[in-house]
Amino acid sequence: MNTRATRNDKRPPRRAVQGAASDIAAQVLAAAAGVVTTVLEEGRTADDVMMQFEDHPQLRAIRAVALGTLRWWSRCDALIAPLLTRSPQQTAPLLRALLCVAVHQLQHSRNPLESTVSAAVNAARLVGLTHAAGLVNAVLRRFLRERDALVAALESAPAQRHAHPQWLVDELRSAWPDCWEALLEANNAHPPLTLRLDLTRVSREDYLRQLQEAGLEGQLVPWLPTAVIVTKPVAVERLPLFREGAVSVQDASAQLAARLLAPVDGERVLDACAAPGGKSGALLELAPELRLTALDCDAQRAQRVADNLRRLGRTAGLVVADLTAEPRWWDGVLFDAILLDAPCSATGVIRRHPEIKWLRREADIEALAEQQQRMLQSCWALLKPGGRLVYATCSVLPAENAAVVARFLAEHADAREVEPPAHEAPLRRANPGWQMLPMQEAGGDGFYYACLKRLATGEGP
Amino acid sequence: MARLEILEFPDPRLRTKAQPVEQFDAALGQLIDDMFETMYEAPGIGLAATQVNVHRRLLVMDVSENKGQPLVFINPQILTSDGVEISEEGCLSVPQIFEEVQRAERVRVRAQDRHGKVFEQDLDGLAAVCLQHEMDHLEGKLFVDYLSSLKRDRIRRKLDKSRRAQPLSSSRIPTPVA
Repeated sequence: MNTRATRNDKRPPRRAVQGAASDIAAQVLAAAAGVVTTVLEEGRTADDVMMQFEDHPQLRAIRAVALGTLRWWSRCDALIAPLLTRSPQQTAPLLRALLCVAVHQLQHSRNPLESTVSAAVNAARLVGLTHAAGLVNAVLRRFLRERDALVAALESAPAQRHAHPQWLVDELRSAWPDCWEALLEANNAHPPLTLRLDLTRVSREDYLRQLQEAGLEGQLVPWLPTAVIVTKPVAVERLPLFREGAVSVQDASAQLAARLLAPVDGERVLDACAAPGGKSGALLELAPELRLTALDCDAQRAQRVADNLRRLGRTAGLVVADLTAEPRWWDGVLFDAILLDAPCSATGVIRRHPEIKWLRREADIEALAEQQQRMLQSCWALLKPGGRLVYATCSVLPAENAAVVARFLAEHADAREVEPPAHEAPLRRANPGWQMLPMQEAGGDGFYYACLKRLATGEGP
Repeated sequence: MARLEILEFPDPRLRTKAQPVEQFDAALGQLIDDMFETMYEAPGIGLAATQVNVHRRLLVMDVSENKGQPLVFINPQILTSDGVEISEEGCLSVPQIFEEVQRAERVRVRAQDRHGKVFEQDLDGLAAVCLQHEMDHLEGKLFVDYLSSLKRDRIRRKLDKSRRAQPLSSSRIPTPVA
């Protein structure tokens, strides 16, 4: 502990991201540049930063532009670099972000190029970069003139072509030598909007009909009976039965985690990293009489578990605690089954959270693997002999997946990997465990699963 | 003597639960001396072994004005506590951040000294607060855990920002399940 020597209450200046101009396109570019800057400078998730625009009439446009720019960030950055007299690193972060946002729009939107350039110049004024408005204009016009040559220069290196950091390209290439480039492409694809149906309340056929009546289109996920993909993305409130709690938004891979635990009514089950509650909901829909404990270390995120379960009309015991600390919350009765969806690099969900590519560092992986190992050990102590545990991550890096489980199995004589319950999901054997990669047809997010069993005393190897 | 590296939030190793000290040997004595040096140099008024990446149940403190009252608590246990004290705490593992935390005002602690001898001691005021703060470390707990997660995230970001030159720490990116 230490005590305060001098008071230092300096607050960071608020970044101006919202102007009063009538030019909507400029407003969108300005807001998106603000989001991109905050995400990259402060290391926050785009979803988190977007919260400030929750009520903005251009919310969807801002989100699309900001996420698109983050998806192609290193490419946009490399495209403007030769046009700047200073290096991008020496350019003010907000100006650099605005230029990248504009270049992304010039490359990917169907708006007339001229109007995008003038919107970007106006956006510069909106965000307080009035002095740089001329520079924005000059850089973007030169970009349009030299575009073909600039783009061609980026095509040779996979890291540039697919806008991934080099370390991640190297990791993925060595982990998935037969399909790493397809994986890089899949990371830049737009993710599907996947729903989980509560089959106790609505059948798949019924729900497809209801979608159609609402003017929407649904498509079944062939390998998972609870999953439906909405082909035209829509605000969740507009989805039939969403308010009623019979439908949730959840990727098919996350839904599969609950299914692989195969919960049975009456069992005592722990969802060890529960927030925001999607998997808890999935478990309770598979076995409504489950005695479920939903644990998370973050009180605010645990609140979202409560909110989600309330919407679903399901109940679970909620615990806010650090899984790896002494389990003061625990009543001492061992669990029949535990779902551990451990915190991870989230490299399997880059298509949903493109900023992960730039915020995640190579050095994080080792620390995450250590934490995952400790969490697995903590869970094991809460699991009854004969009980089962599903270890899952949304990572596609073996260091956080098969390596963690292999080490755990080697260090725990009473732990065995077991066959997952029958399923039709297109999983790849990762030995130990199973991997979903995001590029498979109707595939879910990148996810890893290992089904473990704690041997009962006397049970032979 | 050597100064030790202090782990900084949100380093996941700070979340490790410490194991009891069993060997009261020369290596333990060396560790205690190094921890004092590290604490005085920082400067701080308390340091738990967890903070220097040693996951054993021991902590050192000195809350005196003139830095002349070093205290060592090995395998500490709080026997009784009462009263409420709200004070501003800082932590060598969460540099530059000071926030108000509520603790017991008085505690009676049983612990062992560097030779393994059991003792009991009553502490109050800053010493009581400091002891509770350091004992939390041994459970993998930080004073920022008492704050709202909003505030904690802000702190995490602030620290991330101030260490921009270093690699970003492993702040969790939530998995996208709605």
